[in-house]
Amino acid sequence: MSLQGLVERLPRLVRVFDFLLPLLATLAALAIGAVMLVLLKASPLESYSALLEGAFGSKNALADTLVKATPLLLVGLGICIAFRGGVINIGGEGQLVVGAVAGTLVGLKFPDASGWLIVPSALLVGFLAGGIWGGIPGFLKAYFNVNEILSTIMMNQIAVQGMNYLLRGPMIDPVQLEAASRIPQTARLSAQFDLPRLIPTRLHLGTGLAIMAAVLVFIFLWRTTAGYRIRAVGLNPHASRYAGVNVKRYIVLSLLLSGAFAGLAGVIQVYGVNHRMFTDGSATGFTGGAGFNGIVAALFGQLHPLGTIPASFLFGALLVGANKLQRVMQVPSALITALNGLVVVFVVSSELWRRRLARARTVETKEEALPPTDAEAKVVP
Amino acid sequence: MNDSEIIRILASIIFQSTPLMIAVSGETITERAGVVNLSLDGTMLMAAMTGFVVGLKTESLWIGFLAAAAVGALFALIVAFGNIRLRQSQVAVGFVLTLLGDDLSSFLGQNYTRIPGPVVKHFGIPVLKEIPILGPIFFNQDATVYFAFILVIVTWFLLFRTQPGLRIRSAGERPESAFARGVNVNRIRYLYSILGGALVGISGAVYSFNVKLGWSEGHTRGLGWIALAIVIFGGWSPVRGAFGAVLFGATKALATFLQKAFPEVSVVAFNSIPWLLMIAVLFVAGSDVTERLVVFMPRFVQRPLRRLLRVAPPMALGTTFGED
Repeated sequence: MSLQGLVERLPRLVRVFDFLLPLLATLAALAIGAVMLVLLKASPLESYSALLEGAFGSKNALADTLVKATPLLLVGLGICIAFRGGVINIGGEGQLVVGAVAGTLVGLKFPDASGWLIVPSALLVGFLAGGIWGGIPGFLKAYFNVNEILSTIMMNQIAVQGMNYLLRGPMIDPVQLEAASRIPQTARLSAQFDLPRLIPTRLHLGTGLAIMAAVLVFIFLWRTTAGYRIRAVGLNPHASRYAGVNVKRYIVLSLLLSGAFAGLAGVIQVYGVNHRMFTDGSATGFTGGAGFNGIVAALFGQLHPLGTIPASFLFGALLVGANKLQRVMQVPSALITALNGLVVVFVVSSELWRRRLARARTVETKEEALPPTDAEAKVVP
Repeated sequence: MNDSEIIRILASIIFQSTPLMIAVSGETITERAGVVNLSLDGTMLMAAMTGFVVGLKTESLWIGFLAAAAVGALFALIVAFGNIRLRQSQVAVGFVLTLLGDDLSSFLGQNYTRIPGPVVKHFGIPVLKEIPILGPIFFNQDATVYFAFILVIVTWFLLFRTQPGLRIRSAGERPESAFARGVNVNRIRYLYSILGGALVGISGAVYSFNVKLGWSEGHTRGLGWIALAIVIFGGWSPVRGAFGAVLFGATKALATFLQKAFPEVSVVAFNSIPWLLMIAVLFVAGSDVTERLVVFMPRFVQRPLRRLLRVAPPMALGTTFGED
């Protein structure tokens, strides 16, 4: 191979490196995790093989990973829309809860109806409810200049309070009421409402729906006028306004859609996995933190709907594998959360390095300057 | 309810809002310099945990507070570094740090939950605490409360009456002009992010040594976000921010009081009050509702009222400043 050929091939090699960087970052985070494991007197090698086995070791493990990745993907899709539209949605937890409660209500209200009727309407209701919950901060942001980071956080708290009220009172399982144990959960939804299982595992139709949604969001953002306008508003609201875009309306729309996908994640979680709604008093009890982790998955997927698919898969694997790790090695559960946090920080910072390297390369080769990426679009809370 | 009970409640409101005042002062400095440290919630958790554990081990409050300040400074430094050197969105870095601080604090602090540790001692200021009504509310408190009062005033003085303050604000308002005038914008941003972060760290330790003794998982969860909201409510002024903190404490006390008065109403309704109020506050602070009301006021009060109600974020808040 001539030197010339190698030089010509260099950009492609660099691109492969770019792609590998998040994975390298994950490995680096796991290396630090290994140090923590050693400090806890657990063998890192055994621990990580337990993690891998837990996430990918069997058909069931793989199915669990996919099931865990599903809400992350859906929330992440919403995050892609919001962040591309220049607004920040930290209200995924609340929107997910609201969507789940609304969707559950549909199923509880008509226990004898056909699943063909109820499941789609529950999905729709959850989608809309999440959309409303996300749309409120959007409306406040667009028309009253209320900071959306803070209002979505506040809306999370209000959603949790509402959920606790409903599940301890009006929506509580009659059985729990009679047994006087009063566990705050609803009755189990009728069996005909369960989302169909795909293979004889816990894998359900919701995962397929989420992947379809990812494709739809991609088409929406890059192949429709509304999607184009959302991105335009996100990149430069002033220019968009002069181009005749109703900026306020698109701010509301992007937060509304963002909330809607989180709401959909909530309904799918109920109809596909839990078949009832329950609470431990906090949001994470039901969501498993999907509303927050979805943001991370979306950032990892570079705020691209299709990139978010593998990103959520990776985080799903980490969550499921960590469960197994905890059971096998008897390490404290807090280690797992810390490990997740480390992966997140490393992956996000690797992304920063990648971008820096990319910029350095463009400067060196005197190529045309890279356009600013969306994540660099300035955000003023 | 008699007079002494009202005074006791008011004193406890002041006491409860102390750490928020400190955190708000710190974040106000940081944001005035143009940096949003969104990691407040995680920072406070990590600082509360670290401060408590260090204080417990060394049996020294001072070292505990110092460790908490160091943790806060470190988190702020990461945000500043991510923004200035790595050109990354402050919001993204801050959010990730929020999650990390939450997780890491529950992991590292798991062996120290629910055990007694050092406590800030009660310290009534002689003479001043004898003043009727005001004395018991403001001057018969712990040293941390007085620290917060002094800090709020010092922060205000620093920002609005000194030359460094002018530089801080110029870095946050118009970094390009400041740079042209010879201000090292990014050094200012590093410096005051770290200072603000250290104060946020101290506020976390105030919880574990003083207001909510000890350490438990998620000890201060949610309060960092409240502090961020109060900074906006305070219009990026430490004095107004302090009032915001007290107002928040008062609504929480009111919620508890109402709950006792109306036991038949669901506790949920009262638990939601502070959050709903914060949204309402952001709504009033950010919209032109107040401006519409001001117009109806007599002319001579319009100007001071506008100044009082003015809420404008530092113009370059959250942006990256490149010298090239």
